[in-house]
Amino acid sequence: MSTTFLPCGEYHQSYHEDHAWWQTKFIKGKMILLMLVLFGGIPYMADSYWISVCNQVGYTVLGALGVQLLIGFCGQVTLGHAAFLAVGAYTSTLLILEFPWPKFFLDLGLAYPISILAAAVVAGVWSVLFGLPSAKVKGFYLILTTMAAQFVTVDFVITQYISQIGGRGQAFSLPPGTIKIGPWVIDSDLKIYYMMLVLVILLVAAVVNLLRSRVGRAWVAIRDNDISAEVMGINVVQYKLFAFFVAGFIGGVAGAFWISNLAAISPEHFPWFWSLWLVGVILIGGVGSIHGTIFGSIFMVVVMELLQMAVIPLASSYPKLLMDFLFIKEAAFGLAICAFMVFEPNGLAYRWWQAKNYFNLWPFSY
Amino acid sequence: MGGTTAIKADDVLLDLKDIHMYFGKVAALSGVSLQVRKGDIHSVIGPNGAGKTVMMNIINGLYRPQKGEIRFKGQLINNIRPYQRASLGMARTFQKVEVFGGMTVLDNIRLGRHIHFKSGILSGAIYAGRVAREEIEHRRFIEEEIIDLLEIEHIRHKPVGMLPYGLQKRVELGRALALEPELLILDEPLAGLNLEETEDMARFVIDVNEDKRWKVTCLLVEHDMGVVMDLSHQVFVLNFGNMIMNGTPQEVQNNPQVIKAYLGEEDMYATRR
Repeated sequence: MSTTFLPCGEYHQSYHEDHAWWQTKFIKGKMILLMLVLFGGIPYMADSYWISVCNQVGYTVLGALGVQLLIGFCGQVTLGHAAFLAVGAYTSTLLILEFPWPKFFLDLGLAYPISILAAAVVAGVWSVLFGLPSAKVKGFYLILTTMAAQFVTVDFVITQYISQIGGRGQAFSLPPGTIKIGPWVIDSDLKIYYMMLVLVILLVAAVVNLLRSRVGRAWVAIRDNDISAEVMGINVVQYKLFAFFVAGFIGGVAGAFWISNLAAISPEHFPWFWSLWLVGVILIGGVGSIHGTIFGSIFMVVVMELLQMAVIPLASSYPKLLMDFLFIKEAAFGLAICAFMVFEPNGLAYRWWQAKNYFNLWPFSY
Repeated sequence: MGGTTAIKADDVLLDLKDIHMYFGKVAALSGVSLQVRKGDIHSVIGPNGAGKTVMMNIINGLYRPQKGEIRFKGQLINNIRPYQRASLGMARTFQKVEVFGGMTVLDNIRLGRHIHFKSGILSGAIYAGRVAREEIEHRRFIEEEIIDLLEIEHIRHKPVGMLPYGLQKRVELGRALALEPELLILDEPLAGLNLEETEDMARFVIDVNEDKRWKVTCLLVEHDMGVVMDLSHQVFVLNFGNMIMNGTPQEVQNNPQVIKAYLGEEDMYATRR
């Protein structure tokens, strides 16, 4: 899954062209069309319900991006990523609620953007802390140490201590109007949608850029063969921690973004199941693929929504379906992962690549 | 000629002095000394289990010997990590290919230049200006110096894991060369190659060693005696952790002890040709 197919008669004449993101006019056109749909089409067509579904997709993309970076590109299996989302969300919330912002900052709507950045950095550092065992342990053992991140962070530190700050009890509520970027108060699904789009595009672009430069190559090298990576001059421990930092950073942004969608945050928003869910997203989308992260997120969120829509009309005759929907959702999640592991271990991204190839090579099959 | 002490101190690139390496009670190397002269192809031969690969792992830092000194360019490197040795100018290939299977050929070779790239997390994420220029500069080097030399133009965008073994070996050599090393450790570069691939690989080793552009000192571990005797300036013979001798290929071939321990009957390596 590497290079772009060039149409007959079109050749690259410089390395610059070969390094470009969008290499042909056709692809550029396609991407512009995609942007138009994202920024204009969807907000115009969709009602507020589907916009909120899109926001859910965006949140999942942001969360899964860090997991993808760690598992798919650096080979460090993680099962506690929700912890870093939580750290991001709580850092941002606490900064907004408790930090003595000068009036000037609040008027300009800088508090929230700054808190997002701060949340990202704090989550990144927190993630590095739990990435330290990766210097010594690999694979299954690392799964356990990253799970520790989840339990230590969410179930212990946040529930027991952070939640007590300000004496609010379990949940921190965010008064309307506190989430403000510049002149815009983020108070509707549509505004959250636009903010989500900007963040997703920025972070996906950053990760893709990293992957085609020095740091990202080192990550992939560590994933493929850590001994020869070290022999080729990569400080393996340092680069693993870089990966944990960037993954935590993205997780922090995701968490800080998501508070705009929540009236109140509590530890229950970041259960261990959500960490597992994010791993499921990249398994279904395709491990080691940015496309996979996005497709996986869309698939998981949209399938669950469709499931819900299917259950509602049945609920009148089988009320238990609605009552136990949470369990149905989890069962569907497990089933989807089993099915993908058996029938398409390379995930949706591979199917996408196959489909693209089919059209690129048409009318030939090879 | 040929003895371990005959080399001028300035010319010594790599100097192993009295290396002892134990795994538990097993002595993998007992008191091995080796001097590699700048510009040479220095071969290490010996029967299976003689400790050749252990020796290579010690040289590039994957193992640390319990006793002995390793000097590279005059500097004591006993306590230097493998990745730091890479930036000192040491590169290696492995006996069983250890390429990055999921990366393309080009990315594998780019990774070999890791120590020459400068970008970090932030600049890499933005990928503008200097970083983009740097990528193109290195791409030019890789295309013109390495891919052209090793004749792997046709596979440059293929994932290495999907390539046949012979090409993987070639990519691994390319990756090591991309580091622009002063010392290139080749651990059985010819193992598992067919006759034509063997000839190609031997030619690449000579190219890299003799070409004015490269002038890389090679430390070669190999079982193909025909190639070893043709290519090497010096041959070092190892037998179960002990050095038997070090000398020119001619001297080694005529040494009764070497013949007894390793080379065996006269016609053994004649049939390999």
